[in-house]
Amino acid sequence: MKKTFIAMALAGTALSGSAQAADLRMSWWGGDSRHAATQEALKVCGEKHGHTIQPEFTGWSGHFEKVATQIAGKTEADIMQINWPWLPIFSKNGDGFADLYELSDTIDLSNWTEDQLAAGTRNGKLNGLPLSTTGRIFVFNKTMYDKAGLELPQTWDDLKAAGPVFAEKLGEEYYPFEGIGLDASLIMQAYVTQKTGTPFIDPTTNEVTWSKEDIVDGITFYQSLVDNHVIQPWGDVAAAGNIALHENPKWSRGEIAGTLQWDSTYFKISDPLAEGMELDYVGMLSQDGEKTEGIYRKASMVFSISANTDEPEAAAQIVNCMLNEPEGIAAMGTARGVPASAAALSQLSEADAFQPMQLKAQEQVLNATGPAISPFMEDQDVRGAIEDSLELFAYGEISAEEAAEEMLYGIQEFLDDL
Amino acid sequence: MGGDSKYVGLWYVAPYVIGLALFIAFPFLASFYLSFTDYDLLSKPEYVGLDNYKKLFTRDRTFDKSLKVTLIYVFTTVPLKLVFALFIAVVLNYRLKAINLFRTAYYVPSILGGSVAIAVLWRYIFADTGLVNMAIIALGGEGINWFGDPENALFTITLLRCWQFGSAMVIFLAALQSVDKSLYEAAAIDGAGPWQIFRSITLPLITPVIFFNLIMQTVQAFQEFNGPYIITQGGPLKSTYLLPLYIYDEAFKSFDMGYASAIAWVLFAIIMVLTLIAFWSSKKWVYYAGDKRS
Repeated sequence: MKKTFIAMALAGTALSGSAQAADLRMSWWGGDSRHAATQEALKVCGEKHGHTIQPEFTGWSGHFEKVATQIAGKTEADIMQINWPWLPIFSKNGDGFADLYELSDTIDLSNWTEDQLAAGTRNGKLNGLPLSTTGRIFVFNKTMYDKAGLELPQTWDDLKAAGPVFAEKLGEEYYPFEGIGLDASLIMQAYVTQKTGTPFIDPTTNEVTWSKEDIVDGITFYQSLVDNHVIQPWGDVAAAGNIALHENPKWSRGEIAGTLQWDSTYFKISDPLAEGMELDYVGMLSQDGEKTEGIYRKASMVFSISANTDEPEAAAQIVNCMLNEPEGIAAMGTARGVPASAAALSQLSEADAFQPMQLKAQEQVLNATGPAISPFMEDQDVRGAIEDSLELFAYGEISAEEAAEEMLYGIQEFLDDL
Repeated sequence: MGGDSKYVGLWYVAPYVIGLALFIAFPFLASFYLSFTDYDLLSKPEYVGLDNYKKLFTRDRTFDKSLKVTLIYVFTTVPLKLVFALFIAVVLNYRLKAINLFRTAYYVPSILGGSVAIAVLWRYIFADTGLVNMAIIALGGEGINWFGDPENALFTITLLRCWQFGSAMVIFLAALQSVDKSLYEAAAIDGAGPWQIFRSITLPLITPVIFFNLIMQTVQAFQEFNGPYIITQGGPLKSTYLLPLYIYDEAFKSFDMGYASAIAWVLFAIIMVLTLIAFWSSKKWVYYAGDKRS
């Protein structure tokens, strides 16, 4: 009897497989609503599949450094929310994360298009499942434009014309738009991409496609926005210290009435607005003779599984549950924007889970034209080369030509090191 | 003591020694080795000889700028802070009413000062629409661009560090209280005024403590990180981009741990040289009671 019992116990253990009652960890960044939704999804999916998942969540600031340190020490969580531009940093040859194609028996990959899966693939290995597609589009404080007696801009010229009207009708402290740092860089990039039809760095060849003259043109255009009272001068914005747009009281009060923002940040930028103020998305502003609308669009973030996890099957079950199974989808909701997974999109649409403005913004992002962007555009060195040069120009330390040369030099140096 | 008990002491110090070896000595030596490598944290370090140091001293303009900013910061912050701490310590050395309350109140910023929350608070106080500008405008002045003007930004970080004068102040206060009162009485009988007494008796007798505070505050100032990271992110125009920020960015944002280690070792060398100079000069100005050289 005793032997039979031991044999049964051993057989039970052997049959249980690798996905039985695993202890997992999952890390992500986000705001309170995303934290709450994800924890609920982990609870629901954990109970469904018999696993326990310890959540590790932070705000955006410092999350990259945290993940980098964990991956370097091989102590990263089993499941990670990874920013799409980080994939080539953490997984140069595709081995930095588990290959999700190998887990396709557990994760239903048919919910993503080939293009979407390609965005998460490195060297033929599926390193991350895109959670949504996001893009930078123009969003304006409609209430303030109404007060100024203006329609929302559709072209760059409309925007330029709005500056003096804001100053005259609302006061010198009111600006129809904003942009320093990364935002200034993206304004310049949108303008030049529309003119040239190409991105700054070609993602297929890793080569710079713009000439010095193209960049000078973009910088000069940026300055024209400052000169026309469209954008507050760099130094005046910096006077508030290192502060995000949604934390800036000038945004809340409507003194800044427009921005080029990720569509997925709708709640983040609309929540702080003073009561009664409304935002509206207009897609991309246009210019005469443009070759493309020039949208900066990418997979917003991906779910990846650690290359070092002892429980890849269990982790895959949880990922699949959160993205493709009804219980997980319901719990996750729209905390990560309009989902890329077809199953999630369908279920949430039927449940009327989206705000009309969220859907409008997402539609504009998906419909706008623009060349594929390089993930290296968000690398620290590339960003630094562009933003530092723009800042020097904005403070009058260097000319537009010198700024363009600095950008090209810095980016080329980075690309040469690849 | 029994035969085995001679090892008891080793057991007592073992936790500290192990901690020192694991968390200080090993990273210290490892970073020295890494400074001669190309190491991106994710793959194995690759030996590159002196390449990192060559780049640092020949073609890294950011390092030049950051080093200059760091030296300006240290050479303004440390003297300001020491003078202020000594001044407050002298005031708190008098027998005032509710003196313990004042002592506590002045020490509190030191406990809070290094925290992220205080740096955030500082950002709000000195913002263009912050408390300081509101006060200036209320007094009829014009608001100052504290963070957006490269000429002012470093000064606001300096002020934050100076505000954390409490620990230096407490040490000064202890030193002031240990000065022999009979010396003051003798000086007073000889007709010396307060300033003369302070300059000729107090100051010489507390030079060992001034020296101690000078070394400690200098080392701390070279390692300043929280203030500029939270308040300005090193801007504008890298006017607050202290070397620790540069090390952090290179290590954890640019993934160049080898280069970051090289910068860290240059920073260490600078601190060491300045400390040695301070020790060397101390023979000429630090007075140790009972020291035959004095």
